[in-house]
Amino acid sequence: MFELLFKYPSAVFEKGTFVFLASWPAWVLIAAILAVAAALAWHVLRNRGRLEGRRPVALWLLESGMASLILLLLWQPALSVATLRPQQNVIALLVDDSRSMAAREGDSTRLEQARALLDGGLQAALEQKFQVRLYRFGQGIARIRSTSELSGAAGASRVGDSLREVVAESATLPLGAVVVLSDGADNSGGIDLETISEIRRQRVPVHTVGFGRHQPARDLEIRDVALPARALADSRLSARVSFRQHGFARGKARLVARDGDKVVASQEVTLAPDGVAQIASLVIPAGAAPGARSFRVAVEPLEGEENRENNTLTRLVNVGQARRRILYIEGEPRWEFKFIRRAIEDDRSLELVSMLRTTPNKIYRQKVSSPKELEDGFPAKAEELFGYQGLIIGNVEAGYFNAAQQELIREFANRRGGGILFLAGRAALSDGAWARSALAELLPVALADTAGTFHRDPATAELTALGRESVICRLEERGDKNAGRWKKMPQLADYQRVGDAKPGAVVLMQVNAGSGRPAPLLVTQNYGRGRTALFATGGSWHWQMLQPHTDLSHEIFWRQLLRYLAGDTPGQVVASTPRPVLNDDGRARLRVDARDKAYCPVSNARVEARIAGPEGASDTIELSPQPLEEGVYTGEWAVAKPGSYLAEIIVRRGEEEIGRDVVTFAREDGVAENFGLAQNRELLEKLAGETGGRYYTAADAKQLASEISYSEAGITTRETRELWNMPVVFLLAITLRTSEWLLRRRWGVV
Amino acid sequence: MRLRFAAAAGFAVLFVLISAVLAYQRGSRRFQNEYEDNPAPLPADASEKTEYAFARLRYESGRFGGYWGNYAWATDFSKADRQFVQGVRRLTRIHTRSVEQVVDLDSDEIFKWPWVYAVEVGRWDLGEAHAARLREYLLRGGFLMADDFHGTYEWDVFQLSLSRVFPDRPVVEIGNKDEIFHVLYDLDERFQVPGIQYWYTGSVFEKDGVEPRWRGVYDDKGRLMVAICFNMDLGDAWEWADHPRYPEHWASLAYRVGVNYIIYSMTH
Repeated sequence: MFELLFKYPSAVFEKGTFVFLASWPAWVLIAAILAVAAALAWHVLRNRGRLEGRRPVALWLLESGMASLILLLLWQPALSVATLRPQQNVIALLVDDSRSMAAREGDSTRLEQARALLDGGLQAALEQKFQVRLYRFGQGIARIRSTSELSGAAGASRVGDSLREVVAESATLPLGAVVVLSDGADNSGGIDLETISEIRRQRVPVHTVGFGRHQPARDLEIRDVALPARALADSRLSARVSFRQHGFARGKARLVARDGDKVVASQEVTLAPDGVAQIASLVIPAGAAPGARSFRVAVEPLEGEENRENNTLTRLVNVGQARRRILYIEGEPRWEFKFIRRAIEDDRSLELVSMLRTTPNKIYRQKVSSPKELEDGFPAKAEELFGYQGLIIGNVEAGYFNAAQQELIREFANRRGGGILFLAGRAALSDGAWARSALAELLPVALADTAGTFHRDPATAELTALGRESVICRLEERGDKNAGRWKKMPQLADYQRVGDAKPGAVVLMQVNAGSGRPAPLLVTQNYGRGRTALFATGGSWHWQMLQPHTDLSHEIFWRQLLRYLAGDTPGQVVASTPRPVLNDDGRARLRVDARDKAYCPVSNARVEARIAGPEGASDTIELSPQPLEEGVYTGEWAVAKPGSYLAEIIVRRGEEEIGRDVVTFAREDGVAENFGLAQNRELLEKLAGETGGRYYTAADAKQLASEISYSEAGITTRETRELWNMPVVFLLAITLRTSEWLLRRRWGVV
Repeated sequence: MRLRFAAAAGFAVLFVLISAVLAYQRGSRRFQNEYEDNPAPLPADASEKTEYAFARLRYESGRFGGYWGNYAWATDFSKADRQFVQGVRRLTRIHTRSVEQVVDLDSDEIFKWPWVYAVEVGRWDLGEAHAARLREYLLRGGFLMADDFHGTYEWDVFQLSLSRVFPDRPVVEIGNKDEIFHVLYDLDERFQVPGIQYWYTGSVFEKDGVEPRWRGVYDDKGRLMVAICFNMDLGDAWEWADHPRYPEHWASLAYRVGVNYIIYSMTH
């Protein structure tokens, strides 16, 4: 239809540039149109006769339109478009040969549909004008002679990498365009911006032809499992499982986490409407034994599900054995101090080093590693304070810390990445002049600059919606049971009024004192590289003393709060990998953040990764500094075989060893292609749109042969397509004249 | 008829007035007790809400009360308590109430006071129910300081009830290196602290309790739950610390021991 009215394919209009072939300049045309319109206005006004109101204006518009159209045609409008020179350009046909293309839909597989399209005339039509190179791509890309070499057996499809390789050939080949025939189920992280900009730079249009259903009929697919890569022994991990389903709306499903064959967590979820992304939390115990743990998180297969292979994802967690040391400074002896210490006494992952001001002139230290530790009071040097992973500031007034110590405390969270917890007390928070101190910005709440905010009156702790989901407040594995247990908790011995939570802070608990609106009680926030938290009471010890000694609520809560505080505090060397589980992927990317004892980035270090893998495989690589990030080193390693790998990172500066860290990753083959089975039209459209190509469905892909010529890549010639003889022009002229005639007849002014 | 009505109204008014006066007196006597052995003046800040209060355990003496009947728990009360907390306030940073808190094993109130003092425990007689409550209190994290009992007989009486509290935990001598003797003051040099009886007997010990014993009961993690001051009378030392005839060095040690026991219980 478009071509019938406009004479040329839409691609000509999309790619072409509008020009006038007449030698007269364009401004003359505009002036002529204005002059004719003015003359017609004068004429219509003088001869309007009985016509009034808008009628003469309508006639003037129609007459002016007709005159303008004639003038426009006199200037000979045309489109200048670059077209590929016949027989001199190469067209690359990339056919997705991954397993997802072998999925059967109706009578044929996606691959059979693609083969039918190519063999049914598309390839022959292209070959009439161009040299055609046929490729198949999966984990890699390979040139093939015919479609019979396609098997649909590749374990993964890497559209981005394959395109990069083909486009790189355009440096030596006159590559006119690329055609990708795929379901878009790329499972190597999509197409990065670098690849897109490289294609744009080469001006090679990528046309895409999509195969496959846009959504399955009955299937549930886990899309991602977000789980921390590191954990302390005996801690609880919060896994955020995102999934989507079709055909089981409002049904029930069971989320399960397994460590080996052992079920370590499970939870029932109600499924959202079809196609709606859903997220559920699952609390997983990290276990006591240190080392790498592999958790398989799954949604139990539903009855009648089309694909059961996309219900499980594996995640690796490194359970650390190093004890986290937390410094607790307390301004006066009080029960909260004693019961916090008792709560974590048995915790193998945490050690609470405390300094307590027993008298105005004496400090009582506990759990110090040597008589020298904290001998001079609160640390005044970065090396000393930064040796801890967490800091608790109890009932201490802000003025107790001098300006240098206050700056050190700020940097403890900001630069060192530690966690700081502020507790309530008669000399704490607002009553301790913290609102006026330079450290007020560290607190996750706004403090009023006033006294009398600390109340020794009973108050109830209530979980917020976020608190019910948080692992800090998780006393029971099951969410409903946990909420019920919190409702039965004894009242706090005291509480302190604080202002509202700051933007970005998360309120996990509120305190209800019976009068007034509930106020924030437990609030957390990220600060710099670390985190800060507030627990606006000094009376949680009632949870211990007012419940049977066998009840462990108080202990569990404090252990989890302090694990949150210190568990994620980085060491001097932090190694990570963006994808710890490589699904049919052979490249492990390593990233190392190296800091000195004062936690300033180290830019002149030598960073080495010693990698050990299955069947005695081992290798050593050196990582390179990242130019834009000080202290960051990256590297890539080819993972040849499936299995679990461990990389020990060693950072040295000269002869001095700055630190070590360990990162684990695993390669799993035959997994990736079970995911994202529906056609990823969004990806294919985006790819075509960003590169100047077009997305086609399999049905309309026949147009490709005629439209592909319009490209600025390869060897081109510029052609001019005149527009005056487009049928739409004549149609417009007839419409204008007929309309005027009909109106004149109706108004009796013929 | 009118006379009757006037009389009834008069009685009603009188009843209301008397009730109001009694209620007022009751309020002002919140910290006073009819069993006070040696009453002390009520401080002006008696109603202050604080972190710590000297909690005195009101226990039953039953068959061992003797002359004291069922009120052995109130020995030296309330002067010893109030005089001792003056020292706690002056010597430490503990936010301390100026008056004591009497606690019973029958009430849950005891769990809000994790340090409790029991005097004349050579006369206590805990039944199974009370023994279970005290055991639960201590296992949750409470601390008991037992004081002012002397000689073999009183030890046996004390042990009789304590064995009901902890049938399987031994009473042991607290070593000099234990933190309880160093948490604030280093108390390596300890001596017998006699009660006021020294004035009229001239003896530093009572009955056959010649040797002062610093004993205790530990929990599974090596923390003291019960600190026992046997063959001494720290309560008397606190009570008579302001008396010119009571030697300073005894009062001083009693204060330092008491302060150490409180700080220990707030840190361990």
